[in-house]
Amino acid sequence: MKIKCSTLFTLLAVLLLCAAAPLLWAAKVGDPAPEFTAPASNGKTVHLADYRGKYVVLEWHNNGCPYVGKHYNSGNMQRLQKQWTSQGVAWLTILSSAPGKQGYVTANEENDYLAKMQAAPTAALLDPTGEIGHLYEAKTSPQMVVINPQGVIIYSGAIDDKPTTDLQDVPNATNYVSQALQQSMAGKPVQTAATRPYGCSVKYADATY
Amino acid sequence: MGKTRPCNLGLSPFRTLAFALTVLTSANVRAAGTAIPHGTVELIPESPWITAGRTLNLGLHFQLEKGWHIYWVNPGDSGEPPRVKWQLPTGLTVGAMEWPAPRRLGSPSIVDFGYEDAVTLLVPLHAAANLTAQQPAQLTAEVTVLVCRELCITGKVQLSLSIPIKSQPAAPDMQTQDLFNATRKLLPQPLPQNWKFRVAEANGSFVLTANFGRQVPQATFFPLAESQIDNAAPQNVQPTSGGFRLTLRKSEQLLKPLARLKGVLVLPNEQAYLIDVPLSKPAVAKNVHGNFNAKLLLATIFLKGEL
Repeated sequence: MKIKCSTLFTLLAVLLLCAAAPLLWAAKVGDPAPEFTAPASNGKTVHLADYRGKYVVLEWHNNGCPYVGKHYNSGNMQRLQKQWTSQGVAWLTILSSAPGKQGYVTANEENDYLAKMQAAPTAALLDPTGEIGHLYEAKTSPQMVVINPQGVIIYSGAIDDKPTTDLQDVPNATNYVSQALQQSMAGKPVQTAATRPYGCSVKYADATY
Repeated sequence: MGKTRPCNLGLSPFRTLAFALTVLTSANVRAAGTAIPHGTVELIPESPWITAGRTLNLGLHFQLEKGWHIYWVNPGDSGEPPRVKWQLPTGLTVGAMEWPAPRRLGSPSIVDFGYEDAVTLLVPLHAAANLTAQQPAQLTAEVTVLVCRELCITGKVQLSLSIPIKSQPAAPDMQTQDLFNATRKLLPQPLPQNWKFRVAEANGSFVLTANFGRQVPQATFFPLAESQIDNAAPQNVQPTSGGFRLTLRKSEQLLKPLARLKGVLVLPNEQAYLIDVPLSKPAVAKNVHGNFNAKLLLATIFLKGEL
């Protein structure tokens, strides 16, 4: 088999860049959202590219984290999921905990959790290698990312402006995800486009804290 | 018991101090602290009573099980600092909490700022000049604290303290002096007059240049505000003849220009200093963002590959 030198060069370049990608592109607001493919808990395979033309919300999740608990036990996260998916937004819950770490779940465990909590994301993606997490530099759960129909990140950070575990803080919080979606859908620039994501650290394989 | 200074057992001064404090606390004839997840918390007055027109320091002393930590006022990438809701009688007010210098805790991609083992947070309690009372003052502190190891647990406890009010100032309490003195040594100090600091922005980083008039090989910076520097980025120290140059990568969440860099600088002897330095105007033309360069590079490579 004959391989052209230029083909080899391209391959090499792509390989090099793939390896360096997390360093080069910590996915930032204003950047194209990095593509990914992941198995969903419902058995399907999800490609981010499938949702081009729609708004996409990414929600980092860990069912043992008290900050995530605040939003699920108050019903806030489920309300947001239903509110926005009913308006055509794709909502992807992402599970980046490594096996053996807090928040790691199998597909069945996640399906049971979704049913029990009456959660309604478009899909819950299993990311036990932390690949998607690292691609988006997800630091905490619940960290949130909003992607516009053109595939550009328009928000990354906290779910709201109350970085606590107190359920009583939910009703008075300013929700940055809803704000970003509303402003962008109205054709306005997103006022608060990046915030410090609060919560529990994402339990990647190398996590010790 | 005086504070023992154990000989060097290969422990860092902070750990040695934490160890000494542990021994000290357990040796004291004080009621044990109130349980929080994986530790205890205790409200300790520096002196046995308070006097009108004076300030009494209160220590919020946390003792944690091995491996568990709590957070500094800026927790870093994750977590949350302890919070206190006070209930105080008329005539008593509390000032701002004073936080000992923290440590960097975490993994390569996520870095938090906090405390392991033990820490005492100081709260000044001010008594009004006209304060008079026959009865001791009853104080209540509702403490909310996030305690983490690999996972995090929230604790909420009520602490109460009864403090007599007397007209004569209290003599120092030998039992608590060591704890408070040791804690004060860990608090960030104001900068000595002759030390000069400068901060400039370059290539997506803040470069802090320090001039002490001597070489300083190591330094760690802890930003007081969130979302100013990239917490997890390695802090590159370049020793210079008069001090060092410390490169701190800017946070992705910093969308507005920064006017001043405020934080705590910890030097090799565990001495901590409070710094608050205005940003110098850039000397050269605006820097092209590093990421933009990377994209250009990618485009160039792809173009070449297609040829």
